Amino acid sequence: MNAVRYVKKAKKGNKEALLQLILAEKDDYYRLALTYMGNSHDAMDAMEDMIVRLYENIGQLKKEEAFYSWSRTILANSCKALLRKRQKLVPLDDAAMNGKLTEDLALALPSDPYRHSDQQMDIRQMLLHLNEQQQEAIQLKYWHDLDYQTIADMMGVPIGTVKSRIFQGLKKMRELYGGETDG
Amino acid sequence: MDNIEKRLTEENRRLNTIAAPEELEARLRSALEGAAPARTKRISVVWRAAAAAILLIVIFGYNYNAFAFYGKKLLGFDELISSTLQELNDQGMGQLVDRKATLSDGTELTINGIMTDANQLILYYTLTNPRGIDDWSDPPFKPSRITGFLTNSHLESGVSQPNEGQTEVKGTITFEPVSPFAKKLTLHYFELGENNQLIDQTLSFAYDPNQAMQTEVKQSIGKKAQVDKGTINFQSITATPTMTMIEGSLNVDNFDRLPGALDGIELIANGVPVERTGSGHGSSIGGRKFDLRYNPLPKPLKSLELVMKEFAGYQQLDQRLPLASAGEEPFTWEGKELWVKKVTITSQGVEITIATEEDVLLDGVSIETQGKTISLRTTVGQIETKLEDGTILKERTLLFDSQAKPEYLRIKGMHYMKEYNVVIDIPVD
Repeated sequence: MNAVRYVKKAKKGNKEALLQLILAEKDDYYRLALTYMGNSHDAMDAMEDMIVRLYENIGQLKKEEAFYSWSRTILANSCKALLRKRQKLVPLDDAAMNGKLTEDLALALPSDPYRHSDQQMDIRQMLLHLNEQQQEAIQLKYWHDLDYQTIADMMGVPIGTVKSRIFQGLKKMRELYGGETDG
Repeated sequence: MDNIEKRLTEENRRLNTIAAPEELEARLRSALEGAAPARTKRISVVWRAAAAAILLIVIFGYNYNAFAFYGKKLLGFDELISSTLQELNDQGMGQLVDRKATLSDGTELTINGIMTDANQLILYYTLTNPRGIDDWSDPPFKPSRITGFLTNSHLESGVSQPNEGQTEVKGTITFEPVSPFAKKLTLHYFELGENNQLIDQTLSFAYDPNQAMQTEVKQSIGKKAQVDKGTINFQSITATPTMTMIEGSLNVDNFDRLPGALDGIELIANGVPVERTGSGHGSSIGGRKFDLRYNPLPKPLKSLELVMKEFAGYQQLDQRLPLASAGEEPFTWEGKELWVKKVTITSQGVEITIATEEDVLLDGVSIETQGKTISLRTTVGQIETKLEDGTILKERTLLFDSQAKPEYLRIKGMHYMKEYNVVIDIPVD
């Protein structure tokens, strides 16, 4: 697919072209949204939000080639906005402070794809001990194979900050969990 | 890479197996429909008429060959293909492709033709090399997928067979179904280069979706079956001339504890079981997706039902077995037997060798020794033995971290293949 041509069409207001651009990479977008939101339903909500934002703002996109990194950033922002909205309703933070409760919460998510995997549960719990920015930077780098520049764009910080967040986050996890394999 | 990084990358691999749900496209489309236009502009009537005319040209131009239907028969595959495919081939249900490429070792690859329907694409190919094909079961031709407009179909299975002199190999490969909008398909394959490097190659050919075989039955089932540890949701049936596919999802906690849990599901057409040709499952959002594949349905079709004879079940046991009396006699519950064959204490700890039927997996196992409870560390050395009456027994050794003689073996429950006999009627018109 010639992405630049589709982006140009989308800029002229062609909804189908925009949709095709997203669908071409839909699995990647979906996994990204899923990482932020934790379940399928919210991930799709965030993607709906994203596509509307993209449509309304695509006129501002200067470089057509940058569509994918630009749209990823918008998706991340949509996810964060939805999470903030939700946090106002349910004080998840308090629950997350308690390790046991978090586990129950993760198990209770009806569409959690990882229910059967203990190891996955561990790595998620390990990530919970980091601050939000460290978590996000590590997930973007290791789970979504994004480069430092893209992560910096998505998080709206300089590249050095991203590197330091990843470094500090990994360091903390190593301190907490050392070299053990089993949780 | 250290341990933490390794586990993060493992997670990446797991995440990469997740695909976006089917309904995503529809949801994005309707979200977009509601979106306020970025800018509004009046479009003059002339332009609208012109656009309509262009649209008509595009639609009809694109589909002009809908009027030229021609079936083709593929020759030379008689020994290779099943009787079903044979019949379809005799009826000229294939499309001739006849495209050639030369592999790096000089072998000539010919795509002879394809046969498609809503369940699969079957590709017929020939490899020829007058100097002989050294290892015909592992030729330098390794197909991987077929791409095209809205199409990315992965390989599912394949069979091949050499001629007497091993100078020619004929084979068929099945792929996931291709889009009815594709007009050109590209076969991606690897060939073995120097130093056993795999080289990515492609071969494109024209495709006529109008020649795809018609689907005979396609309807949703939408029935749920409760099992001990969750639910199974039978979603749809798609019957085409080449196969019948049942798709669904399941959310059953102990599904993967027992191998072949799906094998106990039969498709009965006109009162006779339809032969199973395969099954598959993969994790996805909202549980696990599965498919069951059967032979094509008989004609005329009078009745159709899915029968779940057995499936993974769970039985709470809370048993406390005295090991002192263990020996020749098995412990029995729910018609399942457990033999304790040997209890020894080695430098490894306490080793208890037990045997059960093939489909029994114990849950929550521990030993009690001098009032202390020690949980199972691991299970080793599983072997299968066949009894005279044909029953297959699964023998394995349970390992516990203890040096004291155990008094009791405690078992919380067991996973086993349980009879459910759930019958789901699928109405046929």
